[in-house]
Amino acid sequence: MEQSNKEHRKKSEKATAKKKLHTQGHNAKAFAVAAPGKMARTMQRSSDVNERKLHVPMVDRTPEDDPPPVIVAVVGPPGTGKTTLIKSLVRRMTKSSLTEVNGPITVVSGKRRRLTFLECPADDLNAMVDVAKVADLVLLMMDGNFGFEMETMEFLNLAQHHGMPRVLGVATHLDLFKSQSTLRASKKRLKHRFWTEVYQGAKLFYLSGVINGRYPDREILNLSRFISVMKFRPLKWRNEHPYLLADRLTDITHPQLLESKGKHIDRKVALYGYLHGSALPSVAGARVHLAGVGDYSISHVEKLPDPCPTPYFQQKQDEYEREKMKEEGAASTGAPRRRKRLDDKQKLIYAPMSDVGGVLMDKDAVFIDVGTKNGEGASFVPGQEKGEGEKLVTSLQSAERSIAESFDGVGLQLFSNGQELHAGDEEAESFSSDGDVSDQSANGGRQNLRKPRIYGKSVQEADADVDGLVSDDDEEFEDFDGEGDHQRRMVEVDFPAENGDLVEAQTDSEFELSDHENDIWTRSTASKLEGSKARRRKWDIGKLIYMDNITPSDCLKRWRGEEEDEDENRSDAEEDEEFFQQKDRSAGTTSGVDDDLEKFKPHFETFKKLIAKWPDMEQIKNRFVGSSTLRSEKQGNDDDDADGADEDEAYGDFEDLEAYEGQESEGENDSAQSSHNDSDDNGSDGSFADFEQEEKKDLTTEQERERNAAKKESLRLQFEMEEGDNFKEDDPNNEYDTWYELQKAKMAKQNEINNAELESMTPEQRQKIEGFRAGSYVRIVFENLPMEFVENFNPKYPIIMGGLLPAEMKFGIIKARIRRHRWHKKILKTNDPLVLSLGWRRFQTLPIYTTSDSRTRNRMLKYTPEHSYCFASFYGPLCSPNTTFCGIQVVANSDTTGNFRIAATGIVEEIDASVEIVKKLKLVGYPYKIFRNTAFIKDMFSSAMEVARFEGAQIKTVSGIRGEIKRALSKPEGHFRATFEDKILLSDVIVLRSWYPVHIKKFYNPVTSLLLQNKTEWKGLRLTGQIRAAMDIETPMNPDSAYTKVERPERRFNGLKIPTSIQKALPFKSQVHQMKPQKKKTYMAKRAVVLGGEEKKARSFMQKVFTISNAKDEKKKAKNQDARKERLKKLAKLEEIKIEKDKERKKRYFSENGRKRQHADSGADSGSNKRR
Amino acid sequence: MSTTRYATFQGCRNFRLLIVLSTLSGKPIRVEKIRSEDLNPGLRDHEVSFLRLMEAMTNGSSIEISYTGTTVIYRPGIITGGSYTHQCPPGKPVGYYVEPMLYLAPFSKNKFSVIFRGVTASHQDAGLEAIKWGLMPVMEKFGVRECALHTLKRGSPPLGGGEVHLVVDSLIAQPITMHALETPQISSIRGVAYSTRVSPSMVNRMIDGARKVLKSVGCEVDITADAWRGENAGKSPGWGITLVAESKKGWRYFSEGIGDAGAVPEDLGTQVAYELLEEISMSAVVGRNQLALAIVYMVIGKEDIGRLRITKSQVDERFIWLLRHIKQIFGTEVFLKPVDDADSDDLIATVKGVGFTNTNKKIA
Repeated sequence: MEQSNKEHRKKSEKATAKKKLHTQGHNAKAFAVAAPGKMARTMQRSSDVNERKLHVPMVDRTPEDDPPPVIVAVVGPPGTGKTTLIKSLVRRMTKSSLTEVNGPITVVSGKRRRLTFLECPADDLNAMVDVAKVADLVLLMMDGNFGFEMETMEFLNLAQHHGMPRVLGVATHLDLFKSQSTLRASKKRLKHRFWTEVYQGAKLFYLSGVINGRYPDREILNLSRFISVMKFRPLKWRNEHPYLLADRLTDITHPQLLESKGKHIDRKVALYGYLHGSALPSVAGARVHLAGVGDYSISHVEKLPDPCPTPYFQQKQDEYEREKMKEEGAASTGAPRRRKRLDDKQKLIYAPMSDVGGVLMDKDAVFIDVGTKNGEGASFVPGQEKGEGEKLVTSLQSAERSIAESFDGVGLQLFSNGQELHAGDEEAESFSSDGDVSDQSANGGRQNLRKPRIYGKSVQEADADVDGLVSDDDEEFEDFDGEGDHQRRMVEVDFPAENGDLVEAQTDSEFELSDHENDIWTRSTASKLEGSKARRRKWDIGKLIYMDNITPSDCLKRWRGEEEDEDENRSDAEEDEEFFQQKDRSAGTTSGVDDDLEKFKPHFETFKKLIAKWPDMEQIKNRFVGSSTLRSEKQGNDDDDADGADEDEAYGDFEDLEAYEGQESEGENDSAQSSHNDSDDNGSDGSFADFEQEEKKDLTTEQERERNAAKKESLRLQFEMEEGDNFKEDDPNNEYDTWYELQKAKMAKQNEINNAELESMTPEQRQKIEGFRAGSYVRIVFENLPMEFVENFNPKYPIIMGGLLPAEMKFGIIKARIRRHRWHKKILKTNDPLVLSLGWRRFQTLPIYTTSDSRTRNRMLKYTPEHSYCFASFYGPLCSPNTTFCGIQVVANSDTTGNFRIAATGIVEEIDASVEIVKKLKLVGYPYKIFRNTAFIKDMFSSAMEVARFEGAQIKTVSGIRGEIKRALSKPEGHFRATFEDKILLSDVIVLRSWYPVHIKKFYNPVTSLLLQNKTEWKGLRLTGQIRAAMDIETPMNPDSAYTKVERPERRFNGLKIPTSIQKALPFKSQVHQMKPQKKKTYMAKRAVVLGGEEKKARSFMQKVFTISNAKDEKKKAKNQDARKERLKKLAKLEEIKIEKDKERKKRYFSENGRKRQHADSGADSGSNKRR
Repeated sequence: MSTTRYATFQGCRNFRLLIVLSTLSGKPIRVEKIRSEDLNPGLRDHEVSFLRLMEAMTNGSSIEISYTGTTVIYRPGIITGGSYTHQCPPGKPVGYYVEPMLYLAPFSKNKFSVIFRGVTASHQDAGLEAIKWGLMPVMEKFGVRECALHTLKRGSPPLGGGEVHLVVDSLIAQPITMHALETPQISSIRGVAYSTRVSPSMVNRMIDGARKVLKSVGCEVDITADAWRGENAGKSPGWGITLVAESKKGWRYFSEGIGDAGAVPEDLGTQVAYELLEEISMSAVVGRNQLALAIVYMVIGKEDIGRLRITKSQVDERFIWLLRHIKQIFGTEVFLKPVDDADSDDLIATVKGVGFTNTNKKIA
């Protein structure tokens, strides 16, 4: 049939702006706004839309220049094509194909972006929970034929309560649709359902069939483009915690231990991966949570060179190296090339668990898959090598020397670039070692560890020349001679800059060595290396402060350069003693004999000294307002004076009598110190603190400019913060329009300051202050992990390490607002175990559901309400308020039904060490003797003691008369006397409403699913109902609790009867007056009424009128009935015709369409067969 | 389940600070060898009383004191705050107890309202004005706006009889990140001289003594006389003076002193004035007695870098102990670097906050 559309009507007149300006005497220009109402509405709307876009401003702590890879989780029910998608994407991005997808796969996707693909195991709820917590982007796979499955819904809900990452839908298996229209319809249906779940307009990709084991290239290209430009907002939880998705795991337990103690010992395990979120603190022993394993302390962390660096990073690296080469005088290799697209070389892939191209990497080994052993065409078989390469490898495999032999003749190497020392040539070595060191550094090949490629300043570099000893010294220090070690450290500091001095020093110390021949070798070496002591050393106060083996007073002395002079002449033997003395002294001070250790008032000089010191105010004149003009002139003077004061103060503080000897040389000290200061100032600006001096000579103007610019920038940062005075927050006329902008600007500024400050530190300092930044590839070692973790390791299941904040390490009671999930079939019962996914952890606990009785008490609920929030209190590791969580009743796959598994969702409201929850308890008693307002009550208590506990308690009768418990009666045990506001009845029931405290069971059972062989089968505490069902126990029923029909016997109240004897005695006023019943009939009862006259006439008339009217009605009714009959007949006829027609149409339809459908059914069957 | 891993400390140095830091960080600590070499070993009355106070202000904290009293194990709970009255033993003044509360009060579950009864002044511990005019402004700089210390009664040593009321109404999530890089300019000097149960002329004599010294400073000097009499003046006679130098931006330096029997009031005034000058000369942004508070607040700040200018002379033994203890409990190091200004040898203390948030507070 032809569809008839309404024809388009052209607008008759041209509605241009020009014409509209003047119409019918109305001058549009004369009015600013033509339609104010409409304009207001549009403005309102646009501002609404803008406002809705805003989020609470949050600091993004991911570093800008080298962010961690984006975690792309591919999630979906089994058979939706997750692996295929990952393979296709990897193939698309790196041109390498995977045989198997195991563990996270990191690929470079753009100049500054890397992606980590992670396949979420389809059938494991635990893994889904973990993935939801770390994924930045979720590719939600769904089968186009089935639409949304339970797993999809569960995952979406999990993700929603853990911060909601970005979600992209991917519908697959769309090639199975035969007709285009159904395909289109189901696409639309899917899309709209997806929108309601995620957000309106969420992107849903459609992938048609599989070609060569991959999705069509064009579709994958689109998807990968979409992914690579996607932006991510920081999520609160992840912005506050460091976390890591392990892409590699190695068991580094000593094999000897395994051999000797068996396999069941705890393992030492190293996890590798990119750090995400905030920085991981660099202090040893930081607590982290391994999802599915438990809480553990990190033994140590090590930053490794990035296995999959971005092209941007590599470029920076190259630039850095070129710079370095230039400094060293080598010819430059030309300007860097600018590239528009990624080189094939740069399309890196890192998937250590997935054996890309048959290569599997371990900590310090690479395993190559060589095919089957002894099979046909096996490689690397000794004697049957196929080429030179293979021969080389097989020859390596046969060891010629035993281990003992191979260590024969190996000497001790003191410094990484020093020569090996052998037992025999000790003395000879000691004479020449220093010379050798310098020689080697000049012309020798590389002998130390290769410097890994790290952008910016490398950590190891700093370690080598600044602080190599500090970290491991802390433990072993006590065994050593304190002095000697400090000196060695000093040498390390000074070494690169002052080679000349060192030679002298060496000759100096040779004499010493000859003097004390019996000294142990190490010490002499140390003293030999220490250099001349007359030279004042520059100590870094930052380091000194944190050397726990040096007492603070020593720290200060060293820092201020007041080392005692006799130190120089002291022989080593004396030093030894001195060490012990020192130790004693320090012990004395730390043990604290005096109370002054905590005094608030700082140390001041004595009154007289103060008077002498402050003859006038010149010294601090510049500190007062209005004297700034004076400041510049006075500055020189002031500084000197201030220094003097410092010295004085120092001496006074430590009551060091010997220090006065040094007073003479004070001026000189100061100058030396200040020069040191200056050099240090410069040093901290640049990135290579130690090369600074050498470089200084051959600085080009450009470099100088650069340095100046950097200096300026840092100054600007300082000033802006200071001058801006917090961005003039209180000033309404500041340059920021909205509060939002102001906050943004503040954060940006703070971020800038952070970066500037951190840049100015040496890498090693930076690591100490900042920790391990997100984006760095680290190896994290755990000491005592359960053996099951390693033994049952399966790369398919993600290993996630989440850092814990201080509060999260404590245990306590969490009070949360909770609601049964509306898709979960059953309400939840108090004290039934519930697996909560809160923070990083998944644990089983026993929540008690409560409600708040008008904010006065928390009353226990037996069950959660059907549709509203209630409170839940449970024991577990604390988590900061405002954290959302999910609850699941059963995680084991074998126990799940097809139903929705997420039982509850909630948010943490409050954490505490204890909580007061009560349940209502009504005690019931009966009166047995009643006085006026007093009654004796029985059956409420069983002993006088109990009564005593409740003395003064409010009680109430059922009828509402209030009273109070007074005192226990002595005779029948447990009976008591109570008073009421009115007289009660003997039949009344007395109720005492009391609140009985409920204690939370301290049950915490972490879900250790990763320790199981079968990861999906973790079973914790069972629900009460499950236990009863399993053990075939009937649910106990208290007959009192059963609801029965209430049967109330009819109560009879007897009338008041007063004995006649009393009645007689009563005064008249109080007598009950009762009259006798009347015997005579009254007039009204007796009279007869007769109708007549006018009234009679009227009545008969009315009767006639009514008769006529009734007859008329009768007639009308009969007529209507006839008409109705006629009409019904007509309708029946029509109906018959209609049925006939319908039948015919149906017949026609089924004869046409029935066949088609049969066909389609068979088609669908074949499709599903293909897929499985 | 909770693993007990203590941070262990030797000696009673910074005892209150350790307890406070432990409470803030949630890390259990163990303090050993408390006066173990002393004739009278173990904890003193005031320390035990302080532990009691901590127990009252927190929920779920456990304190184990060894038989000899030389070892204390403290497992912190949750800071709850609330109303409480604390009887301070006569050994230490109320300042000894109030001072650590300033670290905890803004991070508690409920508002702090604690009444302290006892001696209100001593030679070594913080006096009332020192807290009110010296420490609370520092807290204000970190975002704790509504805190006050009301003096209900003054009680001079030895008998005391004073009563103060600490009210901290602002519960903040975390302190503001500090950036104080410039030494502030002092705009005026204020002070309070008080006396209890002695002639009010003492007060004026103290003021005269202080004024004589501060006359040449060249800015406004305003010292208030505050003579207490009657029931509110406590049980013993006594007098003292607190001087505060304040800048326009709200930074304060202060010094204080109290008079002994037989001391000359003018001398006390003069000495405290000189001490104030000394304090000013030695401090950059905060005074030495405010430094611990400022550093701790910086350490528990956001995960941003905060900066504070200090002078070289502020790096003393106490400062080093403070930093070491902070490192042991929080694992945070303070980075010291010289200021860019060539003709000043001040340092900038750079701290990255630990990202502490007040988890105790209930969400609305």
